[in-house]
Amino acid sequence: MPVETPGRRLMGHIPLEFVAKKVSGAGHRSTNASLSLTSMIDFLVVTVVFLLMTFSASGETPVAKGLNLPKAENTLDMMDAPMAAIVGSQVLVDGSPAGNTRAVEESDRMQRMDELFNVLKAKRELWKQTHPNKDFPGVVLLQIDQNVKAVVVKSVFQTAAFAGFPNVSFMVNNLPKSHG
Amino acid sequence: MGGVDVGGGGKGKRKSLDSEINMIPMIDLLMVTISFLLITAVWTHMARINADAQVPGPPRPDVEQEKIEPEKQLHVMMQGEDKFVLVWKQGQTTVDQIDVPRKDVVTQQGAVEVVRFPDLAAKVESEWKAKGQHSNPTDKKLDQAILHTDNKTEFKYIIGVIDAVYQTHRDLQLGGKTEKLPAFNITFAVN
Repeated sequence: MPVETPGRRLMGHIPLEFVAKKVSGAGHRSTNASLSLTSMIDFLVVTVVFLLMTFSASGETPVAKGLNLPKAENTLDMMDAPMAAIVGSQVLVDGSPAGNTRAVEESDRMQRMDELFNVLKAKRELWKQTHPNKDFPGVVLLQIDQNVKAVVVKSVFQTAAFAGFPNVSFMVNNLPKSHG
Repeated sequence: MGGVDVGGGGKGKRKSLDSEINMIPMIDLLMVTISFLLITAVWTHMARINADAQVPGPPRPDVEQEKIEPEKQLHVMMQGEDKFVLVWKQGQTTVDQIDVPRKDVVTQQGAVEVVRFPDLAAKVESEWKAKGQHSNPTDKKLDQAILHTDNKTEFKYIIGVIDAVYQTHRDLQLGGKTEKLPAFNITFAVN
């Protein structure tokens, strides 16, 4: 399609006086109301500043469905580490099944959980292969429901320690501090 | 559109001094930024509470070791329903034993029951001030607390006790800066 010189335009070459007269009010109150942008821009800027301040670049840590994590005040920031979750009686490591807790619950005795041990050990070996000149941090994050029994918690804790993850962190929801 | 009136209208065909700033792209940018930030906003803040299983291993008879005096450790016993027992132990020797009446402060927050033990937290703090061994800000070592719990205790109560122990803070110099960090490192008793 060829480019053509624009023709005459409304309000420019064609004055449309009756429209201008109507808009200006023709002696009456103008129908052309102006909107104050200052307060709107102030509001938008304040909203942007608030959202930027609460913005987290690390994003949301995935929590296994159906888990009610306990809440605590004296917490540390999250970090990147393998995540072991206990969902019902199933154990998941980074979303993949790694055994279950039935044997521990039935015996009511603290014991090593072999499948979890093997998965965590494999994770450790993999990390060491991919980071040959670095010290292994040995951190594992545990997502455990608030109602899980202590025998399961201690078994998972001990299994993680045996598998070479002595720095165990329990994932919790952060509570605002109630004391000074 | 917003305008900036700097007075005067210019002479003849000269460009007018009365210039205007187009506000529409600016408002568009703000709107897009707000939309992006609202969509990516994280409203539930996860955190972690640390427990350390790095305990010294059994002694090796083939290696001659320096005789080091064992440090005092705070054992927090939560087996009873009516009280906690705080025991300071040095090796196998019991140095001191204190009973703390157990008062569970349980509040419901949505589906989660928040358990707090303020009396235990206060007692642990006073005990650490009296008997803690690592209070110097240059001392990077932490006092050790060992949690004893029965097998039936629910996890929320364990977190409540760990939270109470971690309420005791001390100054610690890290890289020229002094920070407030928990005075204890906590682990679980094996039996």
